[in-house]
Amino acid sequence: MLRHLRLMFCFAKFSLLGELAFRSNFLLKILVELIWLGILLTFFKTIFGKSSNVAGWNEHEFLFFVGAYYALEGFVETFFLENCVEFSELVRSGNLDFCLLKPIDPQFFITLRRVDWSTAPKIILGFIMICFALYEIDKPFHFWKIPVFLCLFLCGCSLAYSFLLFLTALSVWMVRNQSLMEVWWLFTNLMRYPRQIYDSEWALPIRMVFGFIIPALLAVSIPVEFAVKNINIEFPLFLFVIALVYFQISRMFFNYSLKHYRSASS
Amino acid sequence: MIVIKTNNLSKQFRIYEKPAGLLGSIKSLFNNKFKDINAVDNINLEINEGEIVGFLGPNGAGKTTTLKMLSGLLFPTKGSATVLGFVPWERPIEFRKAFSLVMGQKSQLWWDLPAADSFELHKEIYAIDPSRFKKNVGELTEIFQVANLLNKPVRELSLGERMKLELIASLLHDPKLLLLDEPTIGLDVVAQSAMHRCLYEFNKTRKITILLTSHYMRDVETLCSRILVISGGSMVYDGQLQGLKNEFGKEKLIKVQFNDVVPDHVFNKFKPFEIGGNIVKLRVEKNDVPNVLAVVSQCEEVSDISIEDPPVEEVIEKLFVSHRLKKI
Repeated sequence: MLRHLRLMFCFAKFSLLGELAFRSNFLLKILVELIWLGILLTFFKTIFGKSSNVAGWNEHEFLFFVGAYYALEGFVETFFLENCVEFSELVRSGNLDFCLLKPIDPQFFITLRRVDWSTAPKIILGFIMICFALYEIDKPFHFWKIPVFLCLFLCGCSLAYSFLLFLTALSVWMVRNQSLMEVWWLFTNLMRYPRQIYDSEWALPIRMVFGFIIPALLAVSIPVEFAVKNINIEFPLFLFVIALVYFQISRMFFNYSLKHYRSASS
Repeated sequence: MIVIKTNNLSKQFRIYEKPAGLLGSIKSLFNNKFKDINAVDNINLEINEGEIVGFLGPNGAGKTTTLKMLSGLLFPTKGSATVLGFVPWERPIEFRKAFSLVMGQKSQLWWDLPAADSFELHKEIYAIDPSRFKKNVGELTEIFQVANLLNKPVRELSLGERMKLELIASLLHDPKLLLLDEPTIGLDVVAQSAMHRCLYEFNKTRKITILLTSHYMRDVETLCSRILVISGGSMVYDGQLQGLKNEFGKEKLIKVQFNDVVPDHVFNKFKPFEIGGNIVKLRVEKNDVPNVLAVVSQCEEVSDISIEDPPVEEVIEKLFVSHRLKKI
């Protein structure tokens, strides 16, 4: 465990050094992320300018949700997304060879070796929004909820990571895997809004598929509902269990895919 | 001690065959055609500790596939192998710590960072003791004479410089086995010689076993005491380089240097193999060498005579051709 933490620190350090070798690009990427946040908040303010309640969520509860979503997306993009997207190129070029030869867990090395620092501010900004929303919410907040919320938040991140890992593993057979980004985009759209917006009858198939089978709808909703709404304990427990199960299944599938890696010619 | 041992090691690839053109592409959507090819076919070999073995063969012969199976990257279709006492494709951590694979056409260094940073990361990944790491970096940069390059971003290095640093990275954790896949590809003669010197020294001082593939015969002639030749996935020769020359080089080249230009009567008596200025090379059967020497040495204009083996490339080519003919 300690060794893995040291390695993560090294990956983070050398990724930062790599990013700083191209400072303009790095700063521009951060600027784009800030513009995205501006658009998200503008949309949010416009909606709540016309209505005080969306699918049972008031403005500050919804702001908490947006912050949590933004932080989760930032977390996945900072640590995993770039590595997973690059995986198909590693397969195509044969450079995956070097990853598999290293004396560490291949999944750990492949999915964590580069940290995208330009998206890291999203995590901080997300938590700032969460803190601001908590301050504004006109309800007593129990501080014991903080560690449980953080644990559920990590479960949500783990669930999102498991989806990514599963899609990433497919690259071993598909080689060119542009669907990864497309499917990730679909997942982020499902995670972006509270699951209650799919409560209407026409949305039942979406709720069933993405609420239970591929539970993308729960990744942000459950931690946030636990923090700011009254929610039955079954839901957080369900998220915890399903995060563990999906992590294990995606890990097994990833390792299975590596056994089918054919390596490109020299 | 045996470092590498294989028993009927084989690898079959299933190749997807797509007909050319748009129609072919559409047809292949519904009717996929595959062809199985034997990339490596029943290879048996044993390599002992401290040996430098050259692994030769034409393009597509199965050299890299064999190296990848020996390093655990590919699972064999059939057969078995042990490398340093491990089954490579089980990929145990201790096995991965005990060897290195260097591929001349691929880089494991971080492109945008100086090599010193990649070495540091390597230290963490291989859990190298800090004092051992410092000692190895010092020794290796001295042997390879690259101390001044450590802090330059890798993308700004020449190919030769980068290859030296790649080799250093692969040696930092004191591997017992070094698998080199065309490590001198694209290097100029000076860089090649430097690489030979370093590998030779490393083999002698640290008793590291080296298995080397290359298309440059200089690599093999300079470094390897033993060669393995593979063709069409099968092993066709395993032995000393000189043995191969004796078996397939039934001729000798006699190099004759004249005081001035090559006199015409030489052309009447012999069929020259190569002429350049005042030097002529004659290709003769081994048995005929004394007779030819007797005649040539009588020429008054001759200033020097030497006898050479045919180029090793030619010997290897003969071996490949004879193997192909056998298969037909």
